Amino acid sequence: MAHLSRRQLLAAAGAAAAVSMAGCSDDDGTGGLDDSRAGAMDGFKAGDQFKATEPLTFSIMMLSNQAYPFKENWPFWAELTKRTNVTLRATAVPGSDYNQKRSVVVSAGQAPMIIPKTYHPDEEAFIAGGAIVPVSDYVELMPHYQDKVRRWNLQGNLESYYQQDGKYYLLPGLHENVWQDYSLAMRTDVLTKLGLAVPATWDELTTTLRELRKAYPDRYPFSDRWSTPPSPGANNLLGILSDSYGTKAGWAWNPAYWDAAAGKFVFSGAMDQYRQIVQYLATLVSEKLLDPESFTQTDDSAKQKFANGKSFVISCNAQTLVSECRKDIAKIPGATVAKIPLPTGPMGATLPGESRLENGLMISKKARESKNFVAMMQFIDWLWYSDDGLLFSKWGIAGDTYTGDVDDGTFKLSPQVKWGGLNPGAPKELQVDYGYFNGVFAYGGSTAMLNSQFSDEEKQFQAVMNKRTPRPVGPPHPLSPDEREQVTLWEAALEDHVNQQTLRFILGQRPLSEWDAYVGELKTKGMDKYLDLANKAYQRFKDKK
Amino acid sequence: MTPTRGYRVFQAANGVVLTLVVVVTLFPFVNILARSFSGEHAIRSGQVTLWPRGFNLTTPHRVMSDSLFWTNYRNTVVYTVVATAISIVLTTCYAYVLSKKHLKGRGLLVGIAVLTMFFNGGLIPNYVLVSSLGLRNTLWAIVLPNAISVFNLLVMKAFFESLPPELEEAAAVDGLGTYGTLWRIVLPLSKAVIATMLLFYAVSFWNSWFAGFLYMDRQELFPVTVYLRNLIAGATTGSDYSTASDTALQIAASIQAVTIVLTMLPVLLVYPFVQRFFVSGVLLGAVKG
Repeated sequence: MAHLSRRQLLAAAGAAAAVSMAGCSDDDGTGGLDDSRAGAMDGFKAGDQFKATEPLTFSIMMLSNQAYPFKENWPFWAELTKRTNVTLRATAVPGSDYNQKRSVVVSAGQAPMIIPKTYHPDEEAFIAGGAIVPVSDYVELMPHYQDKVRRWNLQGNLESYYQQDGKYYLLPGLHENVWQDYSLAMRTDVLTKLGLAVPATWDELTTTLRELRKAYPDRYPFSDRWSTPPSPGANNLLGILSDSYGTKAGWAWNPAYWDAAAGKFVFSGAMDQYRQIVQYLATLVSEKLLDPESFTQTDDSAKQKFANGKSFVISCNAQTLVSECRKDIAKIPGATVAKIPLPTGPMGATLPGESRLENGLMISKKARESKNFVAMMQFIDWLWYSDDGLLFSKWGIAGDTYTGDVDDGTFKLSPQVKWGGLNPGAPKELQVDYGYFNGVFAYGGSTAMLNSQFSDEEKQFQAVMNKRTPRPVGPPHPLSPDEREQVTLWEAALEDHVNQQTLRFILGQRPLSEWDAYVGELKTKGMDKYLDLANKAYQRFKDKK
Repeated sequence: MTPTRGYRVFQAANGVVLTLVVVVTLFPFVNILARSFSGEHAIRSGQVTLWPRGFNLTTPHRVMSDSLFWTNYRNTVVYTVVATAISIVLTTCYAYVLSKKHLKGRGLLVGIAVLTMFFNGGLIPNYVLVSSLGLRNTLWAIVLPNAISVFNLLVMKAFFESLPPELEEAAAVDGLGTYGTLWRIVLPLSKAVIATMLLFYAVSFWNSWFAGFLYMDRQELFPVTVYLRNLIAGATTGSDYSTASDTALQIAASIQAVTIVLTMLPVLLVYPFVQRFFVSGVLLGAVKG
């Protein structure tokens, strides 16, 4: 059939190499901004409304959310242009595969100027190619951004975004406070029937589950969801549990944990705290309080068990509580369910501080070369970081889509508009019909702004959670591209092993007496080398500062 | 003449077994159909088997009342028809040439084709290439880059090689040139393989979403597969607040079923007509003896 001569192969290889080289180019464009001020405002400062001095157009990569697909005729666009003199030209990308398209167009050097919806550390993949701008060089153009970072004390959080060159490449969404959304949903009617209080700590949860099991010996009182691989399973449960114990697991997984007392990074999966949470869950499983399938089943089967009264506890957030848990049990007479305040553990009434940064924006190199670069940064600053801009992109126009004020709690969505759980039955949808509350623009902001979107029930939950203090975040340990490559390999192998063994320990397939042997296995997989590198990088960063 | 007892037993067994096979094949299809018209609660608690429970038209209605859906559906039809036509012509011509043993440089031509089975430029270089040719946001970005499937090419080449050379020699003696032979002798004898290729190409273009997703920057240019993929992804990730509405939940529950029905339908409709040629293809060898 096919005869490939060596010469043919060589020619093909040469051609392939030439093509791949053509994709790379390196030059540094950070110079003066004097040529880039067309359309920009002079003396733009915090509190100012941005309005370009001439009509401008910026291109933006626009995630088209399946629930409210992108429309060019949303009132949002017209009002945005009216207020800022800026028109956004959108490249619509289906949300299902946004990241893939982003990575192709950015790598190919064809990205729009503004590239939103990027979660740290996704931006790191694009730094070496030179396709995105180190935004930290230009934050002085963004008064609202700087103001919020200062007032909300976010510099420490931002430091984790720093790269080895002392710059960062992503403008994250900023939250005033930690927003703890995930917790456990419990069947409150069953608790009342048995005369049980809502458990406040993880140990109390064990006691409560024991009582439930005693009353219903034929079923597991707790059957959990969110077990999508590659994490070990029951990822929310592991995540919130690890937050309470002071380590990182499940959804909260991060291999490097900052040990403030020792002043260095330790490996999460080998910490004694990690052993404790594994021990805790192993106990629940061995006493038949927690369904062992919690770690492997699909969300659907977990929800079915809850819906049919075969379990009484399941992970939830504000949204799934209302839209799933509560609707699922509607067929059980007298059944009620509530999201319980996150149980506390050895860390007391605190919350991890990392989650105050959200997904954010990358700025393409092409934008930096534009003569409107300064105006664009001011525009971004206003729309994404000023209170007015955030309020506009979230709730729309005062007197039209909402009334009142978010800061004094008088905010009210107009009765003809519905959003989430607010104004069900209203004829128009805030996202679908107006283009507001679009995930591309509306995120982050003050606690008052966040509260405006909650139902009364959720406001109560948040009131409890807001009493907990955010813990300081660990220092950064920025890696060079070579180091990062090496670290990625180590991390993958280590995480794999941690996940597998976590599950085996919890399910009782491996006795916890073998914990030391397990830590030894992590060492053979490069744990110490990994930590060495992380700690060296941290030291390097500290010395530079 | 009455059939023997053994034959009747055989026939009965035959009937039973084949009925079972039909049931096994039809069951998932009917189940999907039922799910696409069922209520959210019934689907989630796993009650739907063969008949819709809690009859509900929200999802089919939501999908079909969206004008973007129809625009994208039309795109898919256009892309599929054009791409299949181009692919069939190119593949047939290439395969016919390669089937001629006396062709000089045949090995090289085969090599070039086969090379692309194992090596390609990669995603980003391809994107750069298509962009710089100015094909982005046009039909050509979808129909040209994958016009020849090497697998199909080799299947077709093997088929042409299996045709008796005497036929073409006779045609040449009777005064037909190369194109005349191809058109009047070879192609009429190749209906079976062409029908097969037609089906292979059409189904693969019908189902493909990636080229459309990658090279199209405007929603009204997407094929319907991208539309549906986005809808499914939105229904299965619960991360956005907006999915909390009742409609969204209903859609989440039955969207996959509705999608499968909608994308399967055209292929299901076309298949019986193409199938005719498969049968005649099987008979072809018998006639020649």
